[in-house]
Amino acid sequence: MTAVSLRGVGKAYGGDGAAAFAALRDVDLDIETNDFLVITGRSGCGKTTLLNVATGLATPTSGTVTVDGVEIWSVTDAERSSLRNRTMGFVFQFPSLLPGLTLEQNVMLPLEFSHEEHADARQRARELLDLVGLGQRLAARPRELSAGQQQRVVIARALINRPTLLLADEPSSDLDEETEAEIMGILRRIHAEQGVTILMATHARQLVAFGTRRLEMVDGTVREDAEHEGASGSARPPGSPGQPGPA
Amino acid sequence: MVLSTVIISRGGEESLRLARQRLGADVVVVPRGSVTGVEGALLLGNATNTYMPRGVVDSIAAVPGVAVASPQLYLTSMANSSCCAVSLMFMFAYDPVTDFTIEPWLKEKLGRDLGAGQAVGGADVFVPAGADKIKLYGYDFDLVGNLEPTGTNLDQTLFMTFATANDMAVASRTKAKMALPVLADTVSSVMVKVDPGADRNAVAKAITEAVPEAQAVPAAELFGSYGSQISGVLRTMVVIVVLTVVLSLALMAIVFWLSVHERRRQIGVLRALGATQRFVLLAYMTEAALLALAGGLVGAVLAAVGMYLFHDLLVSALGFTILLPSLASLFGLLVGGLLIALIVAAVAAFVPALRASRQEPAVSMRE
Repeated sequence: MTAVSLRGVGKAYGGDGAAAFAALRDVDLDIETNDFLVITGRSGCGKTTLLNVATGLATPTSGTVTVDGVEIWSVTDAERSSLRNRTMGFVFQFPSLLPGLTLEQNVMLPLEFSHEEHADARQRARELLDLVGLGQRLAARPRELSAGQQQRVVIARALINRPTLLLADEPSSDLDEETEAEIMGILRRIHAEQGVTILMATHARQLVAFGTRRLEMVDGTVREDAEHEGASGSARPPGSPGQPGPA
Repeated sequence: MVLSTVIISRGGEESLRLARQRLGADVVVVPRGSVTGVEGALLLGNATNTYMPRGVVDSIAAVPGVAVASPQLYLTSMANSSCCAVSLMFMFAYDPVTDFTIEPWLKEKLGRDLGAGQAVGGADVFVPAGADKIKLYGYDFDLVGNLEPTGTNLDQTLFMTFATANDMAVASRTKAKMALPVLADTVSSVMVKVDPGADRNAVAKAITEAVPEAQAVPAAELFGSYGSQISGVLRTMVVIVVLTVVLSLALMAIVFWLSVHERRRQIGVLRALGATQRFVLLAYMTEAALLALAGGLVGAVLAAVGMYLFHDLLVSALGFTILLPSLASLFGLLVGGLLIALIVAAVAAFVPALRASRQEPAVSMRE
């Protein structure tokens, strides 16, 4: 089943003239449910733009984007926002927690934009903070945490609405190797245990091994990595759904 | 600023209106060339040093169209009287036989006529601690009552009859450090009530022509110079207020632009998490409203407290009395001030808030 579908998607910055810069060029892409898709490529190749366009954060110059069966650029802003809130979770490269809120409040923040009752919101926020190893720091403020711990809280926040799609844009680029491994371990567990479709952009080639599928981006175009796609389990970390791991 | 301007301008005009109303005369006759001095005496309690012989009262009463002519005498105490909340106290003598302006008013408040040696005081007049009488120019007064506060010079005024004023003048020659500088049988002004149907302006003109020592002014024209002064101050303050509001608007708009710019990434994150454009717009407008309410409240309270604390200083600096508003009026002015602050903040914040809400989340999050 297709979670996200892009057809003929283009995105240009700087107007329509010759000076315009094409960040995405006629991209056709289907992301299947339960994929852990890793998009790699050099800086400026269009990875972040692809994620933004696919999630309704940036308007495509051309083409269509369908998420969860909804053509997201043909609906109103309120409907698009609601779709993002219900079906997507975000992990950004930069610190994105609100400094004035506690960790628990930060995690529950997406529920503020939901129109549904969430009787178990606090309980779920605690469980998610437990999941990322910060269950004892509910009342702490983001400034009291390290960059890696903050990123773990962001992952907890991304899961509060039980999304089907998790978008991670360079989630470990500012972290040391050990913390990077922790963050990737958490993402892998979420994918494996909760069946969340993950779309991750990274320039770190060593993280490709965590995905079930890899795309290479070059100058705004996507290229399926056939080697990774057809490879044996050696390219996929143990425990990936549907993947037995190395023999 | 807005609140202070309204209090000063409305208080000044109200004070003039009350002063005219209290006079209750159709025409006021003063020594020739001393209209401004008498206005200052009636409004601000300034000492007058021009007098007319009491004989002019009969001449005025004889002018066609004059129904009643009643003399008044304005005096001031020596500096730093111990009886009064102010340095100089104004004294107001009237003729109980002919009076039609002060007597009815005093009777209503006091319930009886004043006798010899008796006086009634304005709200700020009191008997000094340890004494049972007010001593002025060596003469002891019985303070038989106080009037309600008016915010005008009447609050620092001691009302007495001509007979008592004369007794005080006589006593001052032997008992006071300085004799009361007033000649016997003189008056400061004569209040005139015209016959029903008579033209006040024509009667005033006739009095001025008939009595060489006097100048008659229709009551409606009295305090004209103070009215102009209030209008002048009001014009200046309106210009300052308009400039202040425009400047505040520009400053607040800049502050909101900076605030939006500084928090653009947070706005992008909120939008990614599901916040709608409407939510972002409302959040910024609510923030602007709360800031305006808090700032407006602090400013309005400071202005109101300042007006009460520095009332006397303002009166002396501006040169006209300011009737302070009642608590109910003040509350209304506070609400009005807060509404203006809300409108200014809403106008200043709207464009930055709208731009913030309409910006693509991806653009907001970009460095």
